[in-house]
Amino acid sequence: MRRIRILEWRNPTGAMLWEIWARRKVNFAFHTAALLASLFCIPRLQHGPPEWLRGVLILVLISFFLGAYLDLLTCFGYIEADARNVKLGYPARLLLKPVSTLRLILVPMFFGGAAVISVLLIWSHWIMQPLVHGGILSPCWLGAVMLSVFWWMQALAWAMPLMPGRSLIMLIVALIHLLVCCLPLMPVSRLSGWQWPMLAVLLISAVMTAWIGLGLMRQGNWDGPSRIARFWSRRHPAMTRKARRKFGSAFGAQFWLEWRRQGLLLPGIVVGILSAIIPIVFVVQKQVGEPVEGANLIKIIFSLSLSLPIVLSGIMGSQIARFDQLQPSNELPVYIAVRPMTNGGLVIAKLAMALASSILTWLVMLASACFWIIVLESHTLISLVSTISPFGIVACVIGGVPPLLLLILYTWKNLLSGIGAGLTGRRWVIILFTYWKGAVMIAMIALLMAAKFNGDFMTALLHWLPGLLILTLAAKIAVAVALFVLGMRRNVITPGCIGLIIGGWLLCGLFVAGYACLVCHALHKSDWLFPVTLGGFLLLPLPDLAIAPLALAWNRHR
Amino acid sequence: MAPIGWSGDSNAMQLRISIQDGAPIYQQIVEQVKYLVAAGRLKPGEDVPPIRVLAEQLRINPNTVARAYLELEREGVVTMRQGFGTKVVQVKTLLSRREKLRLLAEPADMLLTHAHHLNVELDEVITLLRDRDAVMQPESSK
Amino acid sequence: MKFPSPSSAEAVVAISNLSRHFGAKAALEDVSVFVPRGSVLGLVGENGAGKTTLIKHLLGSLKAQTGNVRVFGLDPVLDPVGVLGRVGYLSERRDLPGWMRVSEFIRYSQAFYPGWNEAYAAQLLEQFQLDPTQKIKTLSQGQQAKAGLLTSLAYRPELLILDEPSSGLDPVVRRDILEAIIRTVADEGRTVLFSSHLLDEVERVADYVVMLQRGRVVLNGRTEEVRRDHISAVLVFAEPPAKAPVLAGAHAISGHGSEWRVLFSGSRLELETAATQIGARVVEELTPTLDEILVARAARKGN
Repeated sequence: MRRIRILEWRNPTGAMLWEIWARRKVNFAFHTAALLASLFCIPRLQHGPPEWLRGVLILVLISFFLGAYLDLLTCFGYIEADARNVKLGYPARLLLKPVSTLRLILVPMFFGGAAVISVLLIWSHWIMQPLVHGGILSPCWLGAVMLSVFWWMQALAWAMPLMPGRSLIMLIVALIHLLVCCLPLMPVSRLSGWQWPMLAVLLISAVMTAWIGLGLMRQGNWDGPSRIARFWSRRHPAMTRKARRKFGSAFGAQFWLEWRRQGLLLPGIVVGILSAIIPIVFVVQKQVGEPVEGANLIKIIFSLSLSLPIVLSGIMGSQIARFDQLQPSNELPVYIAVRPMTNGGLVIAKLAMALASSILTWLVMLASACFWIIVLESHTLISLVSTISPFGIVACVIGGVPPLLLLILYTWKNLLSGIGAGLTGRRWVIILFTYWKGAVMIAMIALLMAAKFNGDFMTALLHWLPGLLILTLAAKIAVAVALFVLGMRRNVITPGCIGLIIGGWLLCGLFVAGYACLVCHALHKSDWLFPVTLGGFLLLPLPDLAIAPLALAWNRHR
Repeated sequence: MAPIGWSGDSNAMQLRISIQDGAPIYQQIVEQVKYLVAAGRLKPGEDVPPIRVLAEQLRINPNTVARAYLELEREGVVTMRQGFGTKVVQVKTLLSRREKLRLLAEPADMLLTHAHHLNVELDEVITLLRDRDAVMQPESSK
Repeated sequence: MKFPSPSSAEAVVAISNLSRHFGAKAALEDVSVFVPRGSVLGLVGENGAGKTTLIKHLLGSLKAQTGNVRVFGLDPVLDPVGVLGRVGYLSERRDLPGWMRVSEFIRYSQAFYPGWNEAYAAQLLEQFQLDPTQKIKTLSQGQQAKAGLLTSLAYRPELLILDEPSSGLDPVVRRDILEAIIRTVADEGRTVLFSSHLLDEVERVADYVVMLQRGRVVLNGRTEEVRRDHISAVLVFAEPPAKAPVLAGAHAISGHGSEWRVLFSGSRLELETAATQIGARVVEELTPTLDEILVARAARKGN
């Protein structure tokens, strides 16, 4: 008979801490290993790492730290879905234990906060300090702000398990913290000296929100349908009872499902961020007041907003492959797996949803740009209009369409970047793929940095570039063709779907290459024509799409 | 045997199926229908519910009901014929005396087995039957 | 007991020598099941016997490691569209999209099946008394089972597969579900395969019974034959035996003193021969229920 080990700390705090530790032993081990490895390696590199390596190293370390921070948030966040998958919040089983609400919130908050602060201090003092001499923000301030974000995320997750817009609120709170964090940097004299009290208010209100919210949840305030939903359905009974048309085909139904689940995610986040940023920038600009600074600010805002969907879609890449958020694994839900639809068809529905999402995001960006120009920068617009003739405006608008299409394509490509790995449904594949992507990105940055600082390397690279591009493209096409053939043999994809994917790839590739050639021609850089054409085709994912139906089959038939 | 009921609606035959009972379900149906016929509650020419309806009503497999009806047809209790696309099952004849006695054979077997296990002689069983009949007489004549 | 296996042309489901291991654990071992067209097969067994694993093989959710699985003569892994378009499935945990409303789920499912009968779906909706505007996650267990059953029945599938359709449901809902199953069977040529713990349901509705234990098939045949082949008897010994008596051909024997109840598989003659061999006398013989047979056989293997 096996003996059951008894906990050393026989009180509720000890039990909760043991549970947190035991659930995420692997994560904690990994973080400790990463910390120790960095602590070991960094002092060795103190004696003159090459410039490019320093930049790359800083990037790696910062991303590691952010990853550790987010991981600690999930470890100590204490968020679980309840048995019926209705609520996502504090574990319901703990609410029935004879433990006070204060202890329930303080254990994860206190110990989580301590972990975050200690990790940050170790990173900043021993690891980053030798590399980056003197930071822009003091570690104490940064640590306090990160603690506040940590506590607010916990508090919101626990206090609002049923609210549908909870993620948006969390995003807004994170942005507010970003703003507060940058307060010391802002040249606004009125607010200096107020930063620490503001942070104290944020911290205390986080704890109070968590305490009161969890207390209310414990009293059953969140049971039953949410009041908002009831209010909504009372006000709009007709809408909920309207008889809708049937779907024309299985593809239509599957597309509708994907759209409802994830279509509005990217546009929603972009709208959220923009609606937070635009007023802030407007207010700050009014404070600053000088036109020169204003133009600079416009440039910053412009580049930020252009990169926003692209960066977000890069982060969200693995999300597209999921089918149901609340399920812990990426396993294909049963109600989709038993539909008579080929794996290729399911993948195409996802591709269509990603494209529609991307288009909507950029339309939103366009709309906000128009809003910004018309409402906030009307004097610039008026001056611009007076300089360009009416015909020129039409040309401007038409000339703006291909870049817009390019941006849509690029966002779409970003969304689909992890689809092959994500559809397999195996966690280890996804984790491996993430690290692979990260490694490739770091290698590319290292390459670019090396080329920038080393002239010979740069010329050698440019000499071999066309050959490398041809080789990579040929390899991609070969791999994709092999995967398509395998897919057809295994009956996971029909020739029609293959034709659709290849046709789409060719079309988009030709468009990108053609436009790039046009730009090169306009800029009189004809020697760049060939690499740019190849680059256009290389940018679009083909092997990834070829492997997606096979990956889905591996998920669907275990 | 389980209690049997009769409702005025000719298409609703109240039967009771017991799983605990040792007999297979189709046999229980056969016995109960025969009993109804013997008691005169199902008259010749009357319609018995179609297979599908009886299966849904009793919540049993239609194949079982079909089997029961086939058995009843084989024994000459009902006839089945095609009518408007579905089979109509009709009671054929009142059961003959021989049939009625055959119906009583099973409960008789059970009684005799019990008696054997209890070590009761056949004469005592017959005496018991006469006594019980005498007790039940005033009740049945009410 | 040999199962009269029909030719593969008749069998809607043909599983031959299927084995499945999850790591070291054997979930199914050398399982062969044939389901003729138009019949009802009841799959019974303890929790963890392998019923759900077997059913998942029919849907293509699990690949056959050894042996093969054919539904309508097709391999569900190689031809999911051909098989799943003619199969209706209700899983044990229902597995419905909680975020969809009932009407949305019906609209979504409808698009996949060309044979969807709207009038029948509307009739079922009325009969099951489901509110189409309610979200599935707010429905009770019984209503979720009904919603799942509705979307599986509305396109009149040739094969209906139900994994524990009555689990966790009150008797009223169980009746509704049973009636729906029977109506499916009553339509010509449609087949039902269901697994259940409620053995009286299996006895009422199933033509054939397959009992799984630890991944192996221990019983396979027509329902009444399975019952008839077992006898529940009471043995009386002249003197109480020193320890529990062992009877050849008995699955379970229990009691104390001189009276012992035994579940025996074989004929009456064999029982009496075996009883006299160990010096006992048969005083009572009954046909056991499927419930008693299952419990007795489960207990026996466990010993």
